[in-house]
Amino acid sequence: MKTYIVRRVIQMVPVLFFTSVIIFGMVHLSPMDPAIILAGGHQTSPETLAQIRAKYHLDKPIVEQYLLWVRDALHGNLGISFRLQQDVTSLILQRLPISLELVGLAMLLTVLMAFPLGILAAVYEGRVVDWIASLLAFIGVASPVYFTGILGVLLFAFHLGWLPAFGTGDGFLDRLAHLILPAAALALNMVALTSRMMRASMLETLSADYMRTALAKGVSYWGAVLKHAARNALIPVVTVTGLQVGFLLVGSVLVEYTFGIGGLGSLIVDGVQNSDYPIVQGTTLFVVVVFLVINLIVDLLYALIDPRVRYN
Amino acid sequence: MAWDRGRHAAALAEPPVPAPEPDPLPPLTAEERVREAARRRGWRTSPLYRNKAYLFALFVVAAVVLVGLFAPVLAPYPPDQPDLSSSLAPPSPEHLLGTDKQGRDILSRLIWGTRTTLLSALFVVFISEVIGVPLGLIAGYFGGWVDALIMRAWDVLLGFPALLLAFVIVAVFGRGLTNAVIALGIVYVPMISRIVRGVVLVQRELAYVEAARALGASHLRVLGHILRNSLSPILVQSTIDLGYAILDLAALSYLGLGVQPPTADWGAMLADGREYLILSPYTAVAAGLAIMIAVVAFNLLGDGLQAHFDPKRRR
Repeated sequence: MKTYIVRRVIQMVPVLFFTSVIIFGMVHLSPMDPAIILAGGHQTSPETLAQIRAKYHLDKPIVEQYLLWVRDALHGNLGISFRLQQDVTSLILQRLPISLELVGLAMLLTVLMAFPLGILAAVYEGRVVDWIASLLAFIGVASPVYFTGILGVLLFAFHLGWLPAFGTGDGFLDRLAHLILPAAALALNMVALTSRMMRASMLETLSADYMRTALAKGVSYWGAVLKHAARNALIPVVTVTGLQVGFLLVGSVLVEYTFGIGGLGSLIVDGVQNSDYPIVQGTTLFVVVVFLVINLIVDLLYALIDPRVRYN
Repeated sequence: MAWDRGRHAAALAEPPVPAPEPDPLPPLTAEERVREAARRRGWRTSPLYRNKAYLFALFVVAAVVLVGLFAPVLAPYPPDQPDLSSSLAPPSPEHLLGTDKQGRDILSRLIWGTRTTLLSALFVVFISEVIGVPLGLIAGYFGGWVDALIMRAWDVLLGFPALLLAFVIVAVFGRGLTNAVIALGIVYVPMISRIVRGVVLVQRELAYVEAARALGASHLRVLGHILRNSLSPILVQSTIDLGYAILDLAALSYLGLGVQPPTADWGAMLADGREYLILSPYTAVAAGLAIMIAVVAFNLLGDGLQAHFDPKRRR
């Protein structure tokens, strides 16, 4: 196991290196001169431009700029936002909690809805329940998060008036009320995918030998389904669900924009809309690292469950 | 449910005795064999025709394409003619889907938007294939370090969550439809490239490749043969990618990074409609439904095409 962990971590290094080069290099391919953006876009004296270049290391050769950037990033310093004039790292840390709450709630909703739905669809294979579940999954996969969010606002906020439409709210319950619609919109895609996977996995375990044994020794039907079939079916599903956390993080960009939530996602959108390069670089690097680390954790968990992976 | 419990409890019983093979049919004559082969290749045995869901998807996609082609004829009004006297009107006989904030006819914008949306999605897929297909062919055919190099490059690109990479590209090169299309085109390269490589890995072991090489055909010529034999999986993937391209382009336009006003486009309409959702939901809902229906149809058609090209699924 130890060698497997080491090997997996070492494999991450080149990917991380090249992604950082892409993130850094891309910004320097820009047709716009960052110094001019920094100066506010209008005509400025060459001295001011030179001053700005010196302040942001823009006057150094590109390789040196990259190395400086990486060194700072490794020290947790992602530079200073052009527009907000604030430290990017602290901006990310400020905005991260609300995004994590959103993603966490979406995960919770996914688990609460997808697992029972998948189990029912498998147990009642080919019956009405299965049919309804597959229809739901089909719609869920195709519905863009931004549109389901808008539909949710229309129905539950404007029409029924049950939930608030925008913002984040104060206090635990108010916050939960504000986050439930965005989280549900975010979860819908996931519920669709996960319930399908759970169904496929359950169909396999339902016909396994241990099910026959359990029924033969007199375990009740649902007892056997839940304790034996469902528990075994969960293993592959949980690992794949773990992988989806990264996608939820990106999906939350769209959801946060729809619901006016000031999380990491809206920070990214702000940065992109205003060509605020330090923010774009910093947030992208952060999300990519999170993405890679999640992949790593899932892989390690999988190797822990299934020893064959380690020796591959 | 008793009936259901019975079904799984049946697993306790002896495994069912396989039914005896039915008597083999009398051998076919040469002529019958030719006719049978033609029937199996024909339209009537295709799952695309026999499965009503696939057939329906085919019709929806055809309808979307036709609407895009004939937008100027079909749209009752010009797409960007503001009429502030009828701002945010609900659906009426004059404006079947109502009007938006600037008094523009939503139906007309939806119809013109079909053209923008479809055309830009086509370009996304086109760009991804121009880059992805040749590199996938080369990687799969030559193998070795060339393969490793190309595949590692795709691993790096896949290290980014898809939309995030598009964000970075748009942030750097500026907002607008052209940049959004190029960005997504690049984002879609690894998927199509990997699929082509996978197909080539199977194809290059087949006898015709060896035969062509033995006859002295150049690598380029052999690659051409392989490409021709890989066209169906490429077509299937392109159809599915078109659906996703519509979805992702709409996402970029929704964030204000893609199509800029006043161009009519589904994603831009959704962004526009979101601004005054509380006053009138028609713009946002019409555009959102159009996106959803198109994506479902392209996805389903992709599945249908895959079944269509699979001889095992013919009867």
